[in-house]
Amino acid sequence: MRSIVLFVLAVAAMALGTWYIGWWTVPVVGALWAFIAATDRTLPLQAALAGVNAWGILLALRMPGGGVERVADSVGAMLSIGGAALIALTLLYPALLAASAATLVRALRGPNGGQGAQRSGAQRRGGSSSSRSGSSLT
Amino acid sequence: MRAFTGILSALILGAALWVGTFSLRGAPPIGPFLSPAHGVWALGQQGELRGEQSVQLAGLGAEAEVRYDDRGVPHIFAASELDAYRALGWVHARDRLFQMELAQRSVAGTLAELVGARALPRDREARRQGLARSADAKWAAIPADAGSRRGVEAYMEGLNAYIRGMRPADLPLEYRLLQKTPREFEPRDTYYLLAAMSLTLAWSDDELRRGAIESLIGKAAAAALFPVDAPIQEPIEPVPGRTAPRIADQRLPAPQLASAQAVREAERWLATRELVSAGMPRDAHGALLTRGEGVVGSNNWAVAPGRTEAGYALLSGDPHLELTLPSIWYEVHLVVPGEFDVYGVSLPLSPIVPIGFNRDVAWTATNTGADVMDFYRETVDDTTNPARYQVDGAWRDLTTRVEEFRDASGNVIAVDTLRTTHRGPLWSTPLGWLSMRWTALEISDEGEAFRAASRATTVDEWYAAMRDYKAPAQNFLVADRGGQIGIRSTGRYPLRPGDGRGDKVFDGSTSASDWTGDWPLDRVPRSVNPAQGFLASANQQPLDPAVRPGYLGWNWPPPWRAIRINTILRGDSAMTPEKMRLAHTDPHSALTPVLLGALREAAEGARGAGALSTTDGEALAVFDAWDQHFDTESRGAVLFETFLEAVTRRTWDELLLPGEDRRVGTPNSMVMARLLADPTSVWWDDRRTAELTEDRDDILMEALRDAWRETRARHGDDPAAWRWGAVRRANVRHLLQLPGLGREGLSVQSGPGTLAPADGGGTHGASWRFVVELGPELRAWGTYPGGQSGNPVSTRYADRIPQWQRGELSPLRVPRTAAELADSALAGTLTFRPE
Repeated sequence: MRSIVLFVLAVAAMALGTWYIGWWTVPVVGALWAFIAATDRTLPLQAALAGVNAWGILLALRMPGGGVERVADSVGAMLSIGGAALIALTLLYPALLAASAATLVRALRGPNGGQGAQRSGAQRRGGSSSSRSGSSLT
Repeated sequence: MRAFTGILSALILGAALWVGTFSLRGAPPIGPFLSPAHGVWALGQQGELRGEQSVQLAGLGAEAEVRYDDRGVPHIFAASELDAYRALGWVHARDRLFQMELAQRSVAGTLAELVGARALPRDREARRQGLARSADAKWAAIPADAGSRRGVEAYMEGLNAYIRGMRPADLPLEYRLLQKTPREFEPRDTYYLLAAMSLTLAWSDDELRRGAIESLIGKAAAAALFPVDAPIQEPIEPVPGRTAPRIADQRLPAPQLASAQAVREAERWLATRELVSAGMPRDAHGALLTRGEGVVGSNNWAVAPGRTEAGYALLSGDPHLELTLPSIWYEVHLVVPGEFDVYGVSLPLSPIVPIGFNRDVAWTATNTGADVMDFYRETVDDTTNPARYQVDGAWRDLTTRVEEFRDASGNVIAVDTLRTTHRGPLWSTPLGWLSMRWTALEISDEGEAFRAASRATTVDEWYAAMRDYKAPAQNFLVADRGGQIGIRSTGRYPLRPGDGRGDKVFDGSTSASDWTGDWPLDRVPRSVNPAQGFLASANQQPLDPAVRPGYLGWNWPPPWRAIRINTILRGDSAMTPEKMRLAHTDPHSALTPVLLGALREAAEGARGAGALSTTDGEALAVFDAWDQHFDTESRGAVLFETFLEAVTRRTWDELLLPGEDRRVGTPNSMVMARLLADPTSVWWDDRRTAELTEDRDDILMEALRDAWRETRARHGDDPAAWRWGAVRRANVRHLLQLPGLGREGLSVQSGPGTLAPADGGGTHGASWRFVVELGPELRAWGTYPGGQSGNPVSTRYADRIPQWQRGELSPLRVPRTAAELADSALAGTLTFRPE
């Protein structure tokens, strides 16, 4: 349940951040999310999905009147990549930003949410190397 | 592993942030560009203004309302003229902001600051031409209380108010791509735009090409091939009683054989022209076009009530210009109750309506194409770095200016020293130092002329208002509700010393070479209410020199279009708006029967001599089956165009530079038509076939064989599969030539000598077609190849192109009051409120 709430909050934060502050709030939210829930192994994937959803929602808001279709057609043709590729690029870019930011923070903090060093030592002492413990938090 | 993951993710994040933040090879940073909040996706909703909106606008005297109709045309209702112009400035900016900046910078020579160093050659040329300095001087000369000055200032207030109020999402696509933001405009920028029109319509440097031609074939031959007086006369000013063109009895004098020295001289002339006119229109092979070669094609005609079905005067306008997206024109309707009510096409960056109508008068224009530019060989004190030039034995100081050129980052990338004489800009050329005098560079206020003319209620009042109009010279055709029609080649035409001609380069060392005055207004080509009951112009020589001699220019475009228009109007005494519309894309050409008639004579001769082959017969059969219409399904038109090219190529071999496939000039089809009447002229002999002496019939038959072979190679062996619409196409390109943002390869009904001649590149054509019926209730129809919005993703960006392609027109809505625009025709309302 917590993970769903965090996901929804992340999507909302990315969307609102993009709208009111700037595109770069997407990796910032991804990083913050990883900071809060660094133990979740699937966090980078979730962050990527949140990025796709956030910008997807914003794109959807632009759809009435055929605006997105016309931009995709015109700008896609201008860039010689086609409209579908332009939309795909627009959705993949925030995914990349969010996922890489989340992965980086997770790597910096360690898989156990910043207690990685002590826990790793304890694990080494206890002979356990389970890295799935983080998953159970979700 | 963790370290590896960390490093990899850091690299990926870094790269993503880098391309999101910084430009890569000139491409915009993708973060803000792709952002669905304020990036390129926001443009989808910046097109047509819908619903009701209001804006506070500083300087307004009272509330002004703009009603956008269902064609995207803003109808501006204001309490005063200045308020109307303020609203228009805002409206123009909303739809055409980037176009306006591009227009201003192209004249100012600051394009490189917007698009980068690749525009430097163009900027250098623009500054050498001196149009910006001239526009500054014109603006400075306008009195502070002049209506035109106050109008332009009000217009710029509205324009700049829009820029100041822009949200990030409003930024036009082109600015995003160039990573720039718009800067505010100055009132004088309107005069930069008017200067740009002079560059398009009145740059007349043909004497520099003339020098090359004279060097190669001799003065007499050059004068015959590029004549001062058109050999086929269908003048704009009608000749009473004349019902057919006057054809001059002309035999072309033989060309001289060019010496090696003459060839070198010709090349120097051509190099000089390349230098002076580097940025001017070129053909598909990159060669500079001569006036009359493809870049003109404007038509206009008016019919008096006595020759119309409804008994009301009719006027049709069909100005041809470069086809671009966004279009050069922006349709608008301005209403100030009790003061003026004008509808027509405006030029973004200017409050004037150069072509349009009010409740009483309609007006339109074709380019006069007069010779209003001269060059002078100057004697300077130092051939590398001159400071003085000599006139009448005395030295005069050159005016010198140092011009800096900057790139998009603001860095100085070049510095030029520009010099001017009392005549105008000075160039260092292979021919020495040349100065230029041009009417477009001299003081005038066309803005005031148009402003006053838009209030006229009769033809006479309209011409009186345009009394001081100077440049670019135009054949202004006017009709009024009282049933009058008139035409006047309006503009400044210089009087020259000696024989009065300007088709040469003058000796700059004497003041006796300078202009001695201007044509008086009562001498310029004109006609009001002629007995024939109609008037027309199509860029042809305005006056028949046999009736009214006087030098206005030379090498006039062929009169095929004028002949066709006059044929239509002469043959129909019950004209209707629908017939006027159909004439815009009329598929006939007066040139075709001339050339095919000569070919048939040649074919008869060949048949009689037993020299007509089976393939000759097949090619001739295509012409026999052709109705000589240049419609999109035509097969004969495909062969005809190739045949015309082949005849031209085989005939004018004398104009080729030795060892090159490049002619120094190509006589136009009117000269060719006259040559066809002289089957044994020495010009028919192809010098490249030393063992043969060809006559007309030999050349025509060989050209037919060339055409048959080339057409089959290009379009297939089966003539039944040929289609003119697949060959002759219009290309409406984006102003920055951005791929995907133009509309190219459009089939259009046009052809050589038709009213829609269209050049081979398809980049020029009808820029605005309209018909006005001046009855008790004004009725008008029109369209142009583009749309009202400059936003490439707007539904109004290119929505009129299919209609334009079909030659159709839309009824124009001309409400007297805001309430008159029916709800069903109303797309949106914008209310400007005083701050």
